[in-house]
Amino acid sequence: MTTQLRTPVCKVLILATLSGGYRGADAAGQSHLEYPSNSYILPVRTAAMFPPSFYLNAFQQGIDGIIVMYSGTDSPYKGESERTAKIINQTYVLMKERALDPRRLRLAAICTVCVRPFLNEIQKMNALLEEIGPAPRGLPTALIVQAQSAS
Amino acid sequence: MPDPTAESQTAAAGKINASSPAGAPRIGVYVCECGGNIGETVRCEQVANALGKLANVTIARHYQFMCSDPGQKLITDDITEKGVNRVVVGACSLFLHEQTFRKTVERAGLNPYLYYHIGLREQDSWVHHECPADATAKAIRMMSAGIAKARLMQPLAPVHLDADQRVLVIGGGVAGLRAALSIARRGLPVTLIEKSHFLGGHVAQWEHLFPTDEDAAALLEGLIEEVIAESKITIYTGAEVVSTKGYVGNFDIRIRVQPRGVAKDFAAVDQAIAACPVQVPDEFNFGLTQRKAIYQPYVGCYPASPVIDREHCTRCNECLRVGQNGGIRLDEPPVEIDLKVGAVVVATGFRPYEPFAGEMGYGEFPEVITLPQLERLLATNDRLEWNARPVRRLAMIHCVGSRQIEGMHAPQPDGKVNDYCSRVCCTATLSAANRIHTRFPNVTIYDVYQDIRTYGRGHEDYYVRACKNGVTFLRHLPEEIPEVIRSEKGAEYPLLVKVKDRLTWGEEIELPVDLVVLSVGIMPSPISDLVDMLKIAPGNDRFLLEVHPKLRPVETAVAGVVLAGTAQGPMTVQESCAAAEAAATKVAVLLSRGKVELEPYVAQVDPERCQGVGECVCVCPQEGAIHLETRIENGKMLRRAVVTAANCNGCGVCVSVCPSRAIDVQGWRLDGFEAMVEAITAETPALEGVA
Amino acid sequence: MAADRLQVDTIVIGGGIAGMQAALDLADQGYRVALVEKNPSVGGKMIGLSKVFPTLDCCSCITTPKMAAVAYHDNIDLLTYSEVQSVSRNEQGFVVQVLKKPRYVIDDACTGCRSCELVCPLDLPDDANEFGRTAHRVIYVPFTTAVPQKALIDIDQCVFCGKCLQACPSDAIDFSQLPAFLEIQARSIILATGYQVTRYDAKKQYGAGKLRNVIDGLMMERLLAPTGPYGRVLRPSDGKQPASIAYVQCAGSRDETLGVPYCSRVCCMYAIKQAMLLSGMLPLADITIYYMDIRTFGKGYEQFYRSAQAMGITFVKGKVARITEDADQNPTVRVELIDDHSQVVERKHDLVVLSVGMLPGGDPQALYGVPTSEDGFVRIPNYNVAPATTTQEGVFATGTAIGPMDIVDSIVTASAAAAEVSAYLQSHYAAGSLTDAERSLIHA
Repeated sequence: MTTQLRTPVCKVLILATLSGGYRGADAAGQSHLEYPSNSYILPVRTAAMFPPSFYLNAFQQGIDGIIVMYSGTDSPYKGESERTAKIINQTYVLMKERALDPRRLRLAAICTVCVRPFLNEIQKMNALLEEIGPAPRGLPTALIVQAQSAS
Repeated sequence: MPDPTAESQTAAAGKINASSPAGAPRIGVYVCECGGNIGETVRCEQVANALGKLANVTIARHYQFMCSDPGQKLITDDITEKGVNRVVVGACSLFLHEQTFRKTVERAGLNPYLYYHIGLREQDSWVHHECPADATAKAIRMMSAGIAKARLMQPLAPVHLDADQRVLVIGGGVAGLRAALSIARRGLPVTLIEKSHFLGGHVAQWEHLFPTDEDAAALLEGLIEEVIAESKITIYTGAEVVSTKGYVGNFDIRIRVQPRGVAKDFAAVDQAIAACPVQVPDEFNFGLTQRKAIYQPYVGCYPASPVIDREHCTRCNECLRVGQNGGIRLDEPPVEIDLKVGAVVVATGFRPYEPFAGEMGYGEFPEVITLPQLERLLATNDRLEWNARPVRRLAMIHCVGSRQIEGMHAPQPDGKVNDYCSRVCCTATLSAANRIHTRFPNVTIYDVYQDIRTYGRGHEDYYVRACKNGVTFLRHLPEEIPEVIRSEKGAEYPLLVKVKDRLTWGEEIELPVDLVVLSVGIMPSPISDLVDMLKIAPGNDRFLLEVHPKLRPVETAVAGVVLAGTAQGPMTVQESCAAAEAAATKVAVLLSRGKVELEPYVAQVDPERCQGVGECVCVCPQEGAIHLETRIENGKMLRRAVVTAANCNGCGVCVSVCPSRAIDVQGWRLDGFEAMVEAITAETPALEGVA
Repeated sequence: MAADRLQVDTIVIGGGIAGMQAALDLADQGYRVALVEKNPSVGGKMIGLSKVFPTLDCCSCITTPKMAAVAYHDNIDLLTYSEVQSVSRNEQGFVVQVLKKPRYVIDDACTGCRSCELVCPLDLPDDANEFGRTAHRVIYVPFTTAVPQKALIDIDQCVFCGKCLQACPSDAIDFSQLPAFLEIQARSIILATGYQVTRYDAKKQYGAGKLRNVIDGLMMERLLAPTGPYGRVLRPSDGKQPASIAYVQCAGSRDETLGVPYCSRVCCMYAIKQAMLLSGMLPLADITIYYMDIRTFGKGYEQFYRSAQAMGITFVKGKVARITEDADQNPTVRVELIDDHSQVVERKHDLVVLSVGMLPGGDPQALYGVPTSEDGFVRIPNYNVAPATTTQEGVFATGTAIGPMDIVDSIVTASAAAAEVSAYLQSHYAAGSLTDAERSLIHA
């Protein structure tokens, strides 16, 4: 598996809203700006739909860092921004309980032409992952189920 | 040329697929090379080969230009010939071509929501140009995530709701009239209700309109005539909303219509009014004059027949004695009418700011009046007199009840100050000043202001003219509020206006005057009951709030309820009419097809999983989108969440809190995202050999 | 393939925010619309702005979805890089001749991949979008968010080296392309021809455009925009980050000497907005706004002004009489401080921004027979009640074609124009000047 050697070991998941971060990522692409290929961007309609258990599960499965790129106060959905912030804060608590460094999860407002902030976020996350390494795996399932009900 | 037979077959297939599940996944996967844009970095053939080995993948191809006609034909052929029932394309950004490919699969008879798009260009080849192997490996993972999502995709159909085409317009002022007229001319029936017994709103009270210098009465008369002539408009005056139910396209609204108490053909109008012994301040003249309990506000009003003011009528029956039996009925009950409408236009207008007692001498000295009162004074008198004395010197003070500063101005009963600019008062004040100068050239006019805001087209002319007309301008700082005091006994002028004038080096100036006119601001009409019933929201300034000032400037957060005119904020007549027409357009877009089509991306509850906890109901930010229903099943009482698709905007907040994962946003299901994460992290054998 | 004859309910002239909104509002009701834009991309002035008042939301986030919507709408024929040549009336309304300028790139083939830009050997100053502050190639896609994402060639500057021809993966380059003519039968016309800014070099007292560190509001928009030329705010003469920035209000409005006696309505708010953005980007900079009257009249605007004051932006009442520069090209402003005993002072700044106003985008008289008022904007005879209806039957106008206005008001008046047009169309179709069968033929 030669690819495994060349790609940074850690995997970064980016949830990017269609009204914000996803367009920002596209704008970075249109400018042909290089960034590490270990980031996987999933378009999301809203960032507010993901419960804490989703993030915990993703870390459990092999994701090492997650950046939620939402539209912040520019969100077209009423209450999305507040709710997302609340969920992320809840998740931080659960991450600490599970010995997951909360810095592995970041919430960032990225607008449709926010190319530099977009790249900054990716660079910061990669710098962090270089420092702290992959996320610890092998959490007991019970903890995840517990997180599910706590959300 | 397409074969017409094939076309009709695919159309039929489209119908079946839209409503029935698509069957076991047979996924077609297409990797676009985008010329060299993707292909020079990502080894597309290798990607297609790797993906072809994944479960449920029926066919995996790579092609130079998937968006071209031959590229699209590859997809449609695979759907019709190979039974492909889910399609994943990796190409340029989804914003460029997702719609293109959705239409492609639909053309081949597949539900358009069984398509998934991966942005291989903007998010892979263009940003990992320096390492083709990494870019290729990433492409495989991105595409396999798309395939994982595709396995779980279900056909979706836009939510179609039958819509009533009738529109309710609330408010018979210039905005309501304009909105009703535009909607009716677009072909939709309108019910126009006005709370008072006469159409026209505040414009009826002005004699003159800027920036056109036209006669307000003539403008209004013309507009009302057009509205009356429009057969699609039904008008109720004395009418108010008493209850509302339903949602966009399907509102059930009950209105209550107060009787006029006077028959349309009642002839002895003048005698009846003369006979009435009651005297109350005439609101049409802002209390400058008195009127009777049976009255018409002004000559030429519509409807023309007078009305009984039930609040002040003493039931003395004097008016009944003037003859024409049955022409007047003092005991008629109100009538309630149920309306079915598809949309509501809120055009409830404004009221002038009422200064509190003692504010700049208002209510304390009779020589202090408001600008609306001055307008009535000018409209009803040939001479400029006040308290039977000619007005020789006059001071007009701007920003009374506008641009207020917290801590310096007394708050309104709700605890807030009016910190906004009322927009129209500067030009209205200067317009009045110029008219006074023209009619009474010997009157000296002082204008006390902070900033002159003659912003609109033609407004600056009023300022220039006022300067030429010899109006004396005095400018004060916001925190140095002018004072109005009583002159010493025996002084030539009854009042003194004290201003610290910044145009003359901050000198404290005292202006002796006969009359002080306060340019009062604009406040929204008191409509809190209506706001509650329609579940719309006022902003911090108490005016009704739009969704977004640029994206949806006249729409409220409640679908199907739109705003027209000064209910939304201070506006001139022109701006009110423009806003009203914009509201009419939004209504026409919504209802002209008789159906409301909504995106399928709404919340959906799995009743098997739902435990009726109601977390979703608690957090839902959309009014009326989700509620709990109780039903009896096998002798057990069950509570289940139920979504009203018309009110749901698919924000997904409910998904994040459901303890039993019973709710999802269609098309964006949580399990789809989990499957994608699994594919991204999988130690997939597909990656072997990528180097 | 573009047909050479098109039949529509409305032809909208101008693809800025007002034209796009009017087109979308009509197309969403089922009317057929042709949208004609003279530039290679839709988006108008708005797409070049940074953030917009009073919400400070990202401008391109609001504009780009509308640009995509007009491009992909089933009921809209979008004609960019096209200009109206002539207009005549017939029984069905108007016959409009449109010239489609050659891009020298085949629309249908170009994928916007920009491979051509990478190989083109010649750079040109980007005057259209960046006031010459950046460059683009001779073959270029107008800007990142342009719609359509298609390249064009500045043929006058091209040396025909043929590199793009070789690089283009889809054989889209065509040096022999000729102008194409298109005849549009339209029942009605909407003029959304927008505005131009008053010239920043018009006023001798303000340096007549010769002072390098005196720029105008639109140039500052580009410096502030995330898509701008430098990605930060630098002054033109030496690339220094300015520590003291001044705004001169009414520099081109309310000024009889410039022939612009009216208020341009947007300058107070854009100056305040830019000042707020600047104080975010350059927290240590002093920002002063010299004004005659602050006109923050719109919804939420006065509150916006107050927060700018609270942020420490200095507002000075006084009309700037003259701008000169010192040996280091620092602009010096001569102004009477009205609130400070009217003393006349000279103040040095690193950068001065002239808050230029709005002029009409074009004169519609010759082509459309539509007269203008004294201010040069389209005359609207029934201005208060029918704000989009011109003196010519079937011709409507909206946005800044009918006077200076901000984005919010442009969008609202555009929707208002759509209401007046749809009522006009309905009256024609209902009056039987077209049968249903004829109508369906038109739209077949």
